[in-house]
Amino acid sequence: MSQPARPASTLFGMTPKELRRKLQQALLYALVILVAVYALFPFYWAFVTSFKTENEMFQTASYLPRNPTLQNYQYVFSGGSFLLALRNSALVSSAASIFALVAGSFAAYALGRLRFRGRVALLYVVLSMTMFPAISILSGLYTIVRQLGFFGTGLSLLVTYPVFTLPFTVWVLTSFFKGLPAEIEQAATVDGCTPFQTFRLILLPLTAPALVTTGLLAFVQSWNEYLFALNFTATNPSAQTVPVAIALFSGEFSEQEPIAEIMAAAMVVTIPLVLLVLAFQNRIVAGLTAGAVKG
Amino acid sequence: MQTSSQSPQRSPSVALLSAAMILIGLLGILFFFAAVANDEAIQYVLNWSPGDSDEQTPSLLLVYLERFGIIVSVLIIAAGLFFVVIGWRLRAGGIRMAYWARIALLWLGIGAGAFIALEIFNILNTAAMDREAVDFSALVSAIAPALLVMLIGFALWYWLNNNIDQAFSGDDSLLGRETRLAWNLLIPTLTIFVLVAARPLEQTFIRSLTDKRFAGSAVPQFVGLENYANLLTFRLDTVPCRKSVTDGPCDTRANGSVRWESIDRELLREGYRTIFNIRLGDQSLAISGLDDDFIEAIYTTVIFTIISVAGELLIGLFMALVVNSNFRGRGAMRAVMLVPWAIPTVISARLWELMLKDTSAGIFNKILLDLGAIDAPLAWLSDPALQIPTAIIVDVWKTAPFMALLLLAGLQTIPSDLYEAASVDGANPVRRFFSITLPLLRPAIAIALIFRTLDALRVFDLFNVLFGRQQLSMATYNFETLVSNQQDGYASAISVIIFIFISIFAFIYVRLLNVES
Repeated sequence: MSQPARPASTLFGMTPKELRRKLQQALLYALVILVAVYALFPFYWAFVTSFKTENEMFQTASYLPRNPTLQNYQYVFSGGSFLLALRNSALVSSAASIFALVAGSFAAYALGRLRFRGRVALLYVVLSMTMFPAISILSGLYTIVRQLGFFGTGLSLLVTYPVFTLPFTVWVLTSFFKGLPAEIEQAATVDGCTPFQTFRLILLPLTAPALVTTGLLAFVQSWNEYLFALNFTATNPSAQTVPVAIALFSGEFSEQEPIAEIMAAAMVVTIPLVLLVLAFQNRIVAGLTAGAVKG
Repeated sequence: MQTSSQSPQRSPSVALLSAAMILIGLLGILFFFAAVANDEAIQYVLNWSPGDSDEQTPSLLLVYLERFGIIVSVLIIAAGLFFVVIGWRLRAGGIRMAYWARIALLWLGIGAGAFIALEIFNILNTAAMDREAVDFSALVSAIAPALLVMLIGFALWYWLNNNIDQAFSGDDSLLGRETRLAWNLLIPTLTIFVLVAARPLEQTFIRSLTDKRFAGSAVPQFVGLENYANLLTFRLDTVPCRKSVTDGPCDTRANGSVRWESIDRELLREGYRTIFNIRLGDQSLAISGLDDDFIEAIYTTVIFTIISVAGELLIGLFMALVVNSNFRGRGAMRAVMLVPWAIPTVISARLWELMLKDTSAGIFNKILLDLGAIDAPLAWLSDPALQIPTAIIVDVWKTAPFMALLLLAGLQTIPSDLYEAASVDGANPVRRFFSITLPLLRPAIAIALIFRTLDALRVFDLFNVLFGRQQLSMATYNFETLVSNQQDGYASAISVIIFIFISIFAFIYVRLLNVES
């Protein structure tokens, strides 16, 4: 194609086309800022609050702390039990999300790519794990955790967390497996792959964006889970996870809720997750499947 | 081609394998019966005699269901029979049965291995807690039977793996191969399903038929469907409106709604409370139930779910599209977007509680006061008219990122050449969105919607922290009944009704969104 002739009229030294692109860029950045403000304002508020004194909680809200203090952070880290809770949370959440990804991708491959009787019924069976509130099964799980001898240890959370991490891992991955073109498998079969090799060597790498996404969501859900952690680990300080440790802050200082300390802890808890997302986000890469079919 | 019935020369090793499979199956079932008979709680009931204690007779059936349940019993017996049937059919020398036997033996070995690991963990853990040295002879005797099972399982599996083609014959179909692989891959998920969902839910169902108290020592008794009757009994009555002047107009409240007479005193004494009044001329149809709190909790939860999921979908889709565009700092933005989801709900609910304080100490009231949008601070959390909208705002803020991340992953699978082709054809961005993005994003949207809707119907943390008992969702009502009122049996019946309600809903929803095909 030949270069289009330069139009005579220009605005701010730009052609209408350039101008339009600039305007689109500006609009895009405006939307980005809108999303950022919407997502971050409460987080900003938690951040500011974490530097405020207890008294300031009851005065008219101010956008910056009047007497910035670090004592809330000192409180959070005093005694070292919070660091222990951070470590416990990291261990439990990593193990829970890895388990969810392994078991979930197995099940999803079966449900999404293989033909067998009872496939649809099993999809509902997996989904049925999300059809009751956690409180419904709490005492039943308590009995099982006791019988297994896991009460008061991180293992109690490792066995119970799949109840919420597995269903959506399985469903999301099933839908991704279904979306992959049938040609991939046919080619693999022609090349002499067994179905399991097709799964492990060819299909699994193609679902990387979905694996990263579901892995992150499973990690965050496990990191934030409160009800099971409270009931199964609260009695053993060395096994508590972060939400439980924060919930148990209350009442050590005064009658009132130590809200500023809780916000300081919230900062400490959320930042590792943000870093984790930052580290993994570029793995949600574009065009993987498109490339696979063409090439 | 050789078919299984025609293979005359059966090797002795096949007969041995077949016998071993049958034996394992029978021993497994026998072992289960022995475990039931020797169970402490079962023994206690069997040996119970009405002595001087005034306790009621414990029910053997109830204790059995509590300890073993129907699901586990059926599964163990079915697994035993599976071994027996496979073992029996193996004698014919068909390769399909051999493949199934290989799967069964592999998982027998893995199962026994898991049991051994569990035993070792428990013995070491107990020793560590009591600060005693580990008793190795006890450890060995505890794991010896399982170790034997594991070794036999793996040995047979190993032999079968190496000799399957020599010892067995017949043809295998692709469908059969896929079916076996599918079940093999599903076993971990199904084990977890039985362990942490089916079995606990079964116990909840069993308790819902009893009068069990939470943390109580009284022996629970069967009460049949009494709990359900109490939750689901309704009656319809017509009531006239309240009139301060005889033959005058109906009295109305400040907001214009008509005041209706209450239902019959006798009914109130029986426990009926009116939930809704439906106007029929100058009469009203009063719908009353024995547990009006529960019905109101269902109503609240459904309204909350519909509005917040719709809001999350719109905002989540918007976020996903923005973050999917090309701009500098996109990676950081993806992390920023997820911040609301990353803060634990128990903390973010407290954070919102702080921001929504009913004085100018709450930042929301301060901003609105500064802008002149309101004259006096609003009581976001305690004004009944504002509670649901507040809960929706907080929930949308918190979970829209979840939606956005799932949709973003879906957007990534849309091939970019589709857009290029559409631009060449001259489609504007709005058309491209409706004719390419939306249809191709449908599966991702459907799944995000299903999971968000089911999550919203089960909302707990948010309502618990923000409103306590003031405004109940289905799950917090369930919690209050269990923990505050200590009615374990009744709370279990609530759980079962919630489960049935959500599963009907989920089934219709999945059908409507057409994701299973």
